[in-house]
Amino acid sequence: MNLDKLLETGDRCIHKEPPTCVANCPVHLEIIDFLSEIEKGNFQNAYKLMEKKMPFHKIIGRICDHPCEAPCERSKAGGSIRISDLEKAVLEYGGYKPKKVWPLPKNKGKVAIIGAGLSGLTAAVDLDKKGYVVTIYEKTNQLGGRLWDCIGDSLTEAMLLEEFKAVADKKMTTHFETNVDKNSLTQLLTEYDAVYLGTSDWEEPIEWDPITFQVGNSTLFVGGRLVNKTDSVILSASSGRRAAISIERYLSKVSLTDSRDREGVFETPLHFDISKKEPLPPIEKTVTIYSQEEATEEAKRCFKCQCRKCIEGCVHLRKFETSPDAYIRQINHNERIILGTHYANKMINSCAECGLCKEECFLDISMNDVIHETRESMVERGKMPVSAHDFALKDMAFSNSSRFSLVRKQPSKEESKDLFYYPLISFSDYVKGLYKGTGKTEYLFYPGCQLPASYPDDIKSIYEYLVGHVKGDVGIYLGCCGAPADWAGQTSLMNENIEAIKKVWTEMEQPTFILACSSCIRIFEKYLPEIKIESLWDVYVREGLPNKDHIKIPQTLSIHDACGTRENSDLHESVRKIVLKLGYGIEELEYSKEKTKCCGYGGLVYYANREQSDAFISERVGESENDLLVYCAMCKDLFVAGGKRTYHLLDLIYPKDDVESATRRMPTLSERHQNRSRVKQILLKEIWREEPMEAEMEAGYSLIIPEDVQKKLEDRYILLEDIQAVLKNAEEQNERFCNPETGEYLARLRRENVTYWVKYRKEGEAFLLTSVYSHRMEILE
Amino acid sequence: MKQEGVDQVKWLCDKCQRELELAKVKVRYMEGNFEVDLMKCPTCNQVYIDETLALGKMKEVEEGLEDK
Ligand code: SF4
Ligand code: SF4
Ligand code: SF4
Ligand SMILES: [Zn+2]
Repeated sequence: MNLDKLLETGDRCIHKEPPTCVANCPVHLEIIDFLSEIEKGNFQNAYKLMEKKMPFHKIIGRICDHPCEAPCERSKAGGSIRISDLEKAVLEYGGYKPKKVWPLPKNKGKVAIIGAGLSGLTAAVDLDKKGYVVTIYEKTNQLGGRLWDCIGDSLTEAMLLEEFKAVADKKMTTHFETNVDKNSLTQLLTEYDAVYLGTSDWEEPIEWDPITFQVGNSTLFVGGRLVNKTDSVILSASSGRRAAISIERYLSKVSLTDSRDREGVFETPLHFDISKKEPLPPIEKTVTIYSQEEATEEAKRCFKCQCRKCIEGCVHLRKFETSPDAYIRQINHNERIILGTHYANKMINSCAECGLCKEECFLDISMNDVIHETRESMVERGKMPVSAHDFALKDMAFSNSSRFSLVRKQPSKEESKDLFYYPLISFSDYVKGLYKGTGKTEYLFYPGCQLPASYPDDIKSIYEYLVGHVKGDVGIYLGCCGAPADWAGQTSLMNENIEAIKKVWTEMEQPTFILACSSCIRIFEKYLPEIKIESLWDVYVREGLPNKDHIKIPQTLSIHDACGTRENSDLHESVRKIVLKLGYGIEELEYSKEKTKCCGYGGLVYYANREQSDAFISERVGESENDLLVYCAMCKDLFVAGGKRTYHLLDLIYPKDDVESATRRMPTLSERHQNRSRVKQILLKEIWREEPMEAEMEAGYSLIIPEDVQKKLEDRYILLEDIQAVLKNAEEQNERFCNPETGEYLARLRRENVTYWVKYRKEGEAFLLTSVYSHRMEILE
Repeated sequence: MKQEGVDQVKWLCDKCQRELELAKVKVRYMEGNFEVDLMKCPTCNQVYIDETLALGKMKEVEEGLEDK
């Protein structure tokens, strides 16, 4: 995995970028935190934030020309936040007696400050604090320069005197009534290690570096009005502070220019989307200063501008309380450590790989791609936890084994001769289709593995429909497309699977695949672009629906699009056409079509982190009052398990009378296996009229499974065939423990990489299961 | 990792009809090999693992090793 590229992607994310107010504040007051503290009524904490960033906060807080306010995002929705009024309120309500700080020993060099205005005083105080011997030259007889002109409603003479007394207390040598001119400056430059020039005008033009404020290569630094060419007090203070930083760097002999691009006012890369925000007007002051309540209300209007677009849509990022920039740093760490715990594994395996993040990000940052690549790298380096995907990969192996997998051409005309007699051939589209058979497979119906597991009874009907409606012979191909291997990052297994599919396709002379599962569609698009595919739903739209009178109770449904179909807008339209045609109303979800969410199965989260999967499910099912309509078997099963009435499109196209399909519970893991095998048997027997090749699954012992044990089977990924194997071994080899008090037995058997335990009691001929569990650790008996 | 609780005393090895005894047993997962005290049949060496141990401490150790 290319970690430099990874980190670059992380750096592109603007989640951590400052809001425009902070970027436009020359001293970068942390405005969001500042407002949040006010919002919570913590005026003292807000005060401390001012103290931290603003030179002479008690003065500037009262007279700042607030360049932060005009660009505030709130200005487009009601009016800028009144940041400067809030600063005044904070000075009023949040002040406290500062702790005495002990000055550093003054041993770092001698600096002269020319001009005791705001910029000069800022530079002087900053350098004094850092341990320089500072000497001030001022042409008048007082500190403060034009600050005395700022006395007004807010700033009083007493306040200024108090602040300047605090400066005087620092005991810097100050020469009042001392005018410095060109000649005396030359003299000062020889006497001092550095000189700061903070007078508002100077007798001759000077050139300085806009980042460091250094004049040429000399020891002279400038700031204040001379540099800023405006009356802005905050720019003045900021330039004094920045020049002081340069002087310190210069005298410490470190680079003057390193990472200073974000000093002063800069442009933030943050884009904050206010399109969905309600306008709110500013809170007006009733007197000259906000009351605490008014201040709190005003602070509440702040959007706390930050890019959270992807996070808002993704319950995975929210559950792990992370953002793409931080996530990527964690992945980087996880990829680099050699010894020690890979703490990010769980998180990496909890992403649904649904792709919504990229869709939401205006920079197209795709955590889906990042995480997928990470999984592939983990597998490649042997660092992927086996337990995360083991069950899903075994399930895939099952589907590609002879217990499900099947490839057949359409039954030939010759084989179907007995069906071609008058009433049948005129009434059955299917038989008509057989009659038109050419022997060349134009289409191959590939229902995938999950649809047959959830809808075993409909596969044959769909097949017959296809034979009767599409032009050309239709074959069938049962198997798993490899989505589990893809999600698990198993590149080589995936490639093997793809090669196997390609082989069938070639042998069948390159038919078009008709796909019914959204995961299959995604996999074919990603790995098999050479194969022409069509979705079953598109076929229904083109050829007409199979049954005529489906509708029972007309109702409005909300459509949950499968996340694998995100980019397939034709498919979205086909599904909607079918739903309308069937007589239902549609109310779209906020997150739908290209912005759809994952049901909680994607990325194999369902196996790797059940809690995360549940969070996906419950968030999604809470998004609509209507019954949901889905067209992926897993979406249906998970939503129903999450307590939501959900229809699969097939429930509407092939309605069944005996069950309430919107609440039909999902088949158990074992039933999913059985259903797949059953589909194969049904097709072989009823379409191809072959005798089943393998005996159906061995009947085994008859089991009684109480509900709580059934739940354990599901939660612990234990199949009935595992149970049967344990029991067989226990009964035949007597390898088990017994509990004479309760009459229970406890038996275990290792199968592949898992040891299964079954606790049971015999009830006549049957076995009553009382508990089941498993572990991966191997006991060397 | 060790067997706790009182539950296990009730169980006998069904094959040998013997009471279980605490003994050092070798267990292995991925690159980890340990010796732990577990209950087992002194005759046929069948080792008893209860549900709490399997889903508690044992799982924790498994996950720890998987994340190494
Ligand atoms: S809304 Fe808040 S965070 Fe955004 S620019 Fe305005 S003050 Fe700053
Ligand atoms: S791919 Fe989906 S689950 Fe993963 S981070 Fe993006 S939005 Fe979240
Ligand atoms: S949408 Fe997400 S990934 Fe994109 S910039 Fe915003 S926080 Fe970062
Ligand atoms: Zn024994």
